[in-house]
Amino acid sequence: MHASIQQQNADKLSGQVPGSASDQGSTVAQRIAHIDDDPDIRDTVRRILEANQYAVESYQTMNDFMVSLWNSTNPPDLAILDVMVETMDIGLEAYVEIHKRFPELHLIFMTSLGEEIRPYFTGLSDEWILIMEKPVEPTSFLSIIHSRLENNES
Amino acid sequence: MAVVKFSWNPSDKNRFALPGMRTNGAKLSDEVLINNARWFIIFRWGVIGVLLLFQVLALIASDELTKIGITHQQGWPLAVTLVLFIANVIYIQTLDFQRHTKYNSPAINIWAQIIVDLLCLSVVVHFIGSIATPAPFFYVLHIALACIFFSTLESLVVTVLVCVMYAAILLDEHPLIFTASQALTIDPGISVLSPLKINIFLWMFTVDVLFIIVWYVVSRLSIVVRIHEHNLVDAYEEIRRAQVEKDRYAVLMTHQLKAPLDAIRSKINLIKGEYCGEVSPEIREVISKIDHRAAGMAALILDVLKLERLKAAARDNNAREQVSIETVIRKCIDKLGPIASSRHIDIKVSLQDFAVEGIPNQLEILLENVISNAIAYSYDNTTIEIVAAVEGTGSYGIVTVTDHGIGIGEKDLPHIFDEYFYTPRAALHNRTSSGIGLSIVKTVAENNKLQIRISSEQNAGTAFSVIFPRLISVVIPETEVHPGVPGSRLVNPQSPPLDSGKSGNELASTH
Repeated sequence: MHASIQQQNADKLSGQVPGSASDQGSTVAQRIAHIDDDPDIRDTVRRILEANQYAVESYQTMNDFMVSLWNSTNPPDLAILDVMVETMDIGLEAYVEIHKRFPELHLIFMTSLGEEIRPYFTGLSDEWILIMEKPVEPTSFLSIIHSRLENNES
Repeated sequence: MAVVKFSWNPSDKNRFALPGMRTNGAKLSDEVLINNARWFIIFRWGVIGVLLLFQVLALIASDELTKIGITHQQGWPLAVTLVLFIANVIYIQTLDFQRHTKYNSPAINIWAQIIVDLLCLSVVVHFIGSIATPAPFFYVLHIALACIFFSTLESLVVTVLVCVMYAAILLDEHPLIFTASQALTIDPGISVLSPLKINIFLWMFTVDVLFIIVWYVVSRLSIVVRIHEHNLVDAYEEIRRAQVEKDRYAVLMTHQLKAPLDAIRSKINLIKGEYCGEVSPEIREVISKIDHRAAGMAALILDVLKLERLKAAARDNNAREQVSIETVIRKCIDKLGPIASSRHIDIKVSLQDFAVEGIPNQLEILLENVISNAIAYSYDNTTIEIVAAVEGTGSYGIVTVTDHGIGIGEKDLPHIFDEYFYTPRAALHNRTSSGIGLSIVKTVAENNKLQIRISSEQNAGTAFSVIFPRLISVVIPETEVHPGVPGSRLVNPQSPPLDSGKSGNELASTH
């Protein structure tokens, strides 16, 4: 199941961003990785982002995303992490790990618990962590994504 | 093939015990030892003071002291005072200003203090009178302290040391005890057991027995106390772990309950945002109603978690900080402003900032709930007034949120802080009411020792005042009217603009 989702996304991605380096300057879609175990949330995020010209890579588990990220030479521009996927706080562990290896990669948390998950962010409090509460509300969701990616460019 | 063995053995209850805590607690932690070493040092300054006083007394009334058998002419009080003073300075130096190593540990520091003190006490006992005065009984203090702070064996060493020192003083003062045995061998016919010698032996024996008994009793007692203390530490640790577990469970349950709702609402948002094609106004209206109810349920689920957390936080006093009330109110208004304007409710603000001590995010939760209630139960196209003021000549602060809405009925007013309480009138006006919001307010008020005053009139509105009885400092008054609201009326919290004087209900609650 996991493998098939990833495979499907990878195929799609290679179609969308061919030979990424040579395409610079043209309108290359910004790539966003989305990790969530809920297929309905994955589908919603994908529809909203793709309708707004972003390329989306969806992953069902944090492990799938990390494996793909470690093997990739071209990490995405932004990743939206769920907090509770395989285990209760895998999202937090993954955050620390990813931030260490890819400090440039923008990370956003999206969780049902919203701000209530913040007490679990011990040791990360000095960093500015963005937490979005589910459900996905297209307007505010897009404005957050947009402002984050804009910051990245400047 | 994977094989996993599960076991639910009830005897495994002590799995949370800390390593080393179950032993009978022979050692105290360095932190406790350091505290005690400091206490010893302070106590010693007192003793040094007494010794100095004694010297002044000796200068004034030396004859009287000689008469009662206290010799002071050798200058021993000055010597002892000087030794104790220098020793005290060294203890402070090694304890606070030198790095703690194997040879400079708090335990060694206390040992050094006890030995030097014993030597000084022996000098004092010698000069004040080893038999004539009760000075030797001060040794008991050292034995008792050794029992409390050292292991049983170490305190026994101190006790033996005390016995030896006392015996040495007696031998030094009465060398005849020693020579008597020689006389006995030379001439067995002569009786050597003079009454004085018997007295000294008896005295030494009795006092030594007393020292041993004190050691035995106090060391037993201190073992009992230490075991209880460690059990208490264990119990606290287990409670703390249980609370962490409970919170994890609550978080898990909240997630499991809310996640499906979020998936449903995300899909609804797709339809509303026309990501699935054009939507007719009828469908949009139905969909919005579904979303509104689902939002209420989602809020209830999160509120249950919030309430549980607030109750657990009541014990935590470390989180208290100095909070500016204006900052908190501004944050809440930033958050809730859009909801108010969507219903054409105007928020008028008049703030005199003051600082209170409390848990910052809890105060935010409290005021957010109060303001969002005011919005929820206001009529459309009305105003909400938020006033912060210092009253009682600067002794307490008060924040009053006044709405013009459905109000609270007289018979409902005493119950509004009950968990899950909501009136049919309230439910009719605001379908998403969970009945938890005011329970949260109550819990925060309890945690932060705040008082709440409500005056309300049905179909006219409610004035909800939060009273902060302990102000830290009063910031320079700054009255401000919400921009863009010309001629907005300021509200006096003591006489809310409701006709509550006659028919309004007043309630002082939570404290």
